[in-house]
Amino acid sequence: MPRVQRSADVTWEGNVARGSGAITGATGAFAGLPYSLASRIEKTDGKTSPEELLAGAHAACFAMSLAGELAGAGSPVEHLDVHATVTLDQVEDGSHRIVASELLARARVKEMDAETFQRLATTASQGCPFSKLIEASGTVTVNATLEGDTDGD
Amino acid sequence: MATDRTANVTWNGDLMSGSGRIDTVTSGAFGSLDVDWKARSEDGQTKTSPEELIAAAHAACFSMALSNGLGQAGHAPEELKSSATVTFQPGEGITKIALQVTGKVPGMSDDDFRQAAETAKENCPVSKALASVPEISLDARLQS
Repeated sequence: MPRVQRSADVTWEGNVARGSGAITGATGAFAGLPYSLASRIEKTDGKTSPEELLAGAHAACFAMSLAGELAGAGSPVEHLDVHATVTLDQVEDGSHRIVASELLARARVKEMDAETFQRLATTASQGCPFSKLIEASGTVTVNATLEGDTDGD
Repeated sequence: MATDRTANVTWNGDLMSGSGRIDTVTSGAFGSLDVDWKARSEDGQTKTSPEELIAAAHAACFSMALSNGLGQAGHAPEELKSSATVTFQPGEGITKIALQVTGKVPGMSDDDFRQAAETAKENCPVSKALASVPEISLDARLQS
């Protein structure tokens, strides 16, 4: 399959503490999204941040990967909800690090037992390029449940 | 203090013919962005993809780190224009990220600007998280 390229542009004005930037994706799907240091590490004030964009990337990447695994196992997902939470934290040397990305997934799949589903969810995270990457910096956890499953068994 | 940012995605159907949506994010800054495999793996698309979001995150993080470094050197930028291009090889993963920046920074030499940009590339949290990408390139220049 041919390689694909995706680009985004950012304009930043001023210093880090009081300046601000705007983020635009080359597809045009989002444009001029404002962000600042305050929106990144304090209250969002309706503005995005690099970590929020990564959370979006990770949730979308994992959702596609899990949809692929389930279809490959003969049980295409009917409906899948994925939440990704990316955590930025200050580490010992005072710098900031992305220390974790936590995936929560809830799926409606016909005729699949919980054990098989768990195995496919783990495989899906390993197969999502972004999960592999973020492990250079932080931990990736996957908590996946089937709709209608009780007590997680 | 740790900061959490969450995104919620819904997906229906299989990978090849199904489709998904980034419904909501913590800040509310963007939402209801459609995603699907075709838009992710073919050119000429108008929908976003994980790789475009990673490009956006990296360019944003790099810009902020560079403004910090320049400010500490006494040369807060008037303006930085950055871009990140993520190369995705389906089946293999992200093989390259190309960072590009043009700066309007009064009183700074080209060499010092390139050095500051290199430091920002090495140290911004998203670069650290993407450290296992085989190649991250940088093209930094001052606006003439």
